[in-house]
Amino acid sequence: MRTVKRVLHVAGNDLRLMVGDKAFFFWSLVFPMLFIVLFGLVFKSSGGAPAVAELTVVNLDEGRWAAYFLDKIKSPTVELKVVGAEPAEYNRLIVLPPDFSARIEARRAQALAFKKRENASAKAAARVETRLYQAIARVLGEIVLYGDGDLSKFLDGHAGFRDIVRVESRFPENTVTAVPSGFDHSIPGTTVQFIMMMVIIYGGVTVMEDRKKGVLARMLFSPLSKGELFQAKLLGRWGMGLVQAIILFVVGRILFKLDLGSAPLALLVIAVFSLAMAALSVFIGSLCRKEDLIIGLAVLLANIFAGLGGCWWPSEIVPPGVRTAAMASPAYWAMDALHKLRFFQGGAGDILLNLGILSALAAVLGAVAARAFKVRD
Amino acid sequence: MRRLLLVLATDVRRHLKSPAAILVFMAIPMVMTALIGIIFAPRTEGKELPPIPLVLVDRDKGLASKLLLGSFDVDRMKKMFQVTVADEAEGRRRMKKGKASAMLVVPERFTLDLLEARTTALTVVKNPAEQFLPDVVEEFVSTLAVMLSGAVQAFAEEARGIRAMIDRPIESFPWDKLGPELGRAQKKMAAAEKVLNPLLLGLKEEETRAAGAKAQVTRTDIFSMMLPGMAVMFLLFIVQTLMRDIVSERQDGKLRRMMTTPLRPLELVGARLAGGWVMGVAVLLVMVAVGTLLFRARWGTFGYFLALAAAASFWTAAFFGLFHALVRNRNQAGAFAAPIILAFSLFGGSMMNPEAMPKAFLAVGLATPNRWFIDGAALVRDGKFPALSLLVLAGSGLVLTALAVPALRRRTSV
Repeated sequence: MRTVKRVLHVAGNDLRLMVGDKAFFFWSLVFPMLFIVLFGLVFKSSGGAPAVAELTVVNLDEGRWAAYFLDKIKSPTVELKVVGAEPAEYNRLIVLPPDFSARIEARRAQALAFKKRENASAKAAARVETRLYQAIARVLGEIVLYGDGDLSKFLDGHAGFRDIVRVESRFPENTVTAVPSGFDHSIPGTTVQFIMMMVIIYGGVTVMEDRKKGVLARMLFSPLSKGELFQAKLLGRWGMGLVQAIILFVVGRILFKLDLGSAPLALLVIAVFSLAMAALSVFIGSLCRKEDLIIGLAVLLANIFAGLGGCWWPSEIVPPGVRTAAMASPAYWAMDALHKLRFFQGGAGDILLNLGILSALAAVLGAVAARAFKVRD
Repeated sequence: MRRLLLVLATDVRRHLKSPAAILVFMAIPMVMTALIGIIFAPRTEGKELPPIPLVLVDRDKGLASKLLLGSFDVDRMKKMFQVTVADEAEGRRRMKKGKASAMLVVPERFTLDLLEARTTALTVVKNPAEQFLPDVVEEFVSTLAVMLSGAVQAFAEEARGIRAMIDRPIESFPWDKLGPELGRAQKKMAAAEKVLNPLLLGLKEEETRAAGAKAQVTRTDIFSMMLPGMAVMFLLFIVQTLMRDIVSERQDGKLRRMMTTPLRPLELVGARLAGGWVMGVAVLLVMVAVGTLLFRARWGTFGYFLALAAAASFWTAAFFGLFHALVRNRNQAGAFAAPIILAFSLFGGSMMNPEAMPKAFLAVGLATPNRWFIDGAALVRDGKFPALSLLVLAGSGLVLTALAVPALRRRTSV
């Protein structure tokens, strides 16, 4: 009991010193918030594309079919801009040639020129293209229904197209009901990334400095053993990661209505992840003798882990090989667990594997760090 | 001047003796560039996304659902979708594991509803953890639904006939009356063929480029665009690390001892600033060489780039000279330098393509060296002279030097 008290005392003191530092405020709140806003907005804009995708129609048709075809393209998500000649500026453009009607009535095949600007939104282009294919399918369907009759009289009266097969879309039952926002992706990602960065840099540098300045050696004059000192250092850095996560989650909740699914389980994931990072920070701090080297290693590791682990971009756009390699990143297991909790409203059973792997990592890193931990150079 | 060069040479030699931190900082931009380049660079021609994993849940188990499944088996569809037939629970499991972007559920009685020309619905269950691919699936299935609707309406009578066959015992079916029915179907097929083979109406897709717009990017272009941003970010880290000596030497008493030699404060200040500048240029050139070897990155006219690298390094040395004159001790320098560098990099476009950044971030970015270096490097890559970037970096660098020299001199005259 006394051992626990001593360890908690030193760890609490370490945490108090770190939280009292002005730079802690920047690292734990200001800078992560900048990241959250930037990535939240970027995910939102690139993921959502424009609400209404514009399509410029160069209508040169001399007959009646153009109006009928354009009517089929109309949709709340596609805005038609009909012009008489190809403009210099457009995002997507379709040309209805002068003999558009004549060719249809003569049952002669034609391919309409559909031009897409390379730098325009790919998602908006895909939406317009889908709509165009659907319109073509409707027109062709009605012509097939019309049979062998004279197509010049088609527009005077024909059987209408019925959407017999409809498409309904939804999310899996008992998961989310609304499309998650960009911030739902960016807040957990940024939190995980900054826990890695902050805990390794701060935790590593302070372990190194305390050793170099002889603080660790002096602490052994107290009733603390070397093992207890290691535990205290580990606990202090673990607490730092937890405090940072709590700050970001609370601010995320207030400013961006962050929903973590199960908040206690999300915190449990972060707690185990922070423990692994705390062990890594003590390990790096015990090995390195230069502050700059620790900062460099922390930035390198945190960025690689964050990039691979899905903290910066949705893993769905990542090539399969990189997705497999991502499993080597602790951030992947934390992000995967947070996704299961947030997007699938998962429970403890769903994240057992993630917790197991992160715990094993924490245990291994803890053992390695305990072995490397030294009080004197 | 001789003494200044002597201090400069000693500093460079000293830093090269323990290069671990510098090497790590130089490795970071390379690793980051490789990672982002691998993920975002265009892959094979005409296919920018990996095949979308899709689970098909067949509750119908009839002819129509088999045809639907078959439609995913043609070569073009195989490149777009990776279809797995499974039940709903397995589909959900796969989505949770990130192994399915969506699940397409074919309802019970789907075949019968189509044969009876009754309205029916395909359900697309989207993976809530994904942002882009589920929408692609939904759009594709919507188009498929329109085509199915057209086919059902065109052959509604024939479909009713097939429906009747399904319910009746074979022996009671009036086979002798099928002749005229088949004849009508043949006529419809022939009429449909005129419309569908070749398609009476199709699309000829073409990607165009606005006047003056850049060509589509290749993987080398991505690397070439990213490296300058990464390089300037870690130039800041490295020069800051090297110039921290200014504070360390004050703190541990080395400076006091150095000042007992004939060395004048101005010479020491000059040596420190020149050291940061020279090392900065050297670091950038090493990164250029490594980037060219590893990623075949293009930098443009070497002379222009060298001028830009010199201007950026000069700015960096002057800025950190002033910074280290203002901070009280090594800890304070360490605590503030990294946040400042990361803020420069975030707003200046080192961490993200400036075109994708919000306008407010871009406006703030104009106050960072990263932004001017990145813009300048883009111009150099296009064969242009980066006059504005050079002017801004060298001009503001001179202002910073003018502020840094007296401040450092004061701190050096212990």
